[in-house]
Amino acid sequence: MIQPQTFLNVSNNSGARELMCIQIIGTSNRRYAHIDDVIVVVIKEAVPNMPLQRSKVIRAIIVRTCNELKRDNSMIIQYDDNAAVVIDQEGNPKGTRVFGAIALELRQLSFTKIVSLAPEVL
Amino acid sequence: MRALTTFQSLNPSSSSISHSLFNRTCSPLTLSTHPQNHSNYKSIHYSRFLSHKSPISVIQSQNRPDNSVNEDTDDMFDELLDKYGKVVYSSKNDVNRPAAEVDDDAESLSFAVALAKVASEVKAADIRVLFVKPLVYWTRFFIIATAFSRPQIDAIGSKIRDLAEEKFKRIPKGDTKPNSWTLLDFGDVVVHIFLPPQRAFYNLEEFYGNATPIELPFENQNQSPFRS
Repeated sequence: MIQPQTFLNVSNNSGARELMCIQIIGTSNRRYAHIDDVIVVVIKEAVPNMPLQRSKVIRAIIVRTCNELKRDNSMIIQYDDNAAVVIDQEGNPKGTRVFGAIALELRQLSFTKIVSLAPEVL
Repeated sequence: MRALTTFQSLNPSSSSISHSLFNRTCSPLTLSTHPQNHSNYKSIHYSRFLSHKSPISVIQSQNRPDNSVNEDTDDMFDELLDKYGKVVYSSKNDVNRPAAEVDDDAESLSFAVALAKVASEVKAADIRVLFVKPLVYWTRFFIIATAFSRPQIDAIGSKIRDLAEEKFKRIPKGDTKPNSWTLLDFGDVVVHIFLPPQRAFYNLEEFYGNATPIELPFENQNQSPFRS
């Protein structure tokens, strides 16, 4: 359940460290974003000497949420943190690698690029 | 706070003795811990008596609390086993596992090689087919190719789409517009078409370095500079 003002960890090596959600893309009246939603974020903290800097506005896709993800076969996936992967306007990830476990639901919404860079797919 | 009195008694022989000791206003809650083995059957009864008529919600047993339900389910399973007498598979994929999987692999391989051949006809460079099934469970083959411009990426992507739809009746997910990293997801085969800087940047071959490369039949015609 990601809403504007939610802070998220960054799950790739793009150079950002902490993000804050400011808008959910593709929705007008929806309150929360979940896994595999694209959001507009602002970088609150960044690694020094990297292309991404603090207070820049970029796009990111949510890959992990503390709120549980329920599947049709009654499997429930719940992570310990809220995390996102920084992408550009075309949907390509900004970093070269993705960290941590990624849910397979990302593949169904044509984010197979992130799935193919992930070390572990649930 | 209410007063709580707990009586514990150990009955190694039988589980059917109930402990209605005193205090008519309260009903005892009998919980038993079951070991898995029925021959070493021991039951521990926790009879709890409360001074008020409040329902007891705390279960102190880690195993199944109700004895009768457990025996009922055991009987039910025995009955089912007698009736069917064999292992019941949950899905069709489980039934024809060993042989069908090899067939599926071969089918995917022929599909992947056909796609790679189409890509080489449109002058894609450094085509690699990787067998990634041992590494990831969600696909079988990766095709990684380099194109040198976006129109070429478009040409490769549309050719691959046409062939897959005509000959194999498959429609890919993934990018529809030419992108610097265009991805076509056919389910068991995933095609990545890169521009040269993106290919060096993402470096997918290194990430999937343990995957088995597949030898391509047209490899000798297409002398790629990166091929080892």
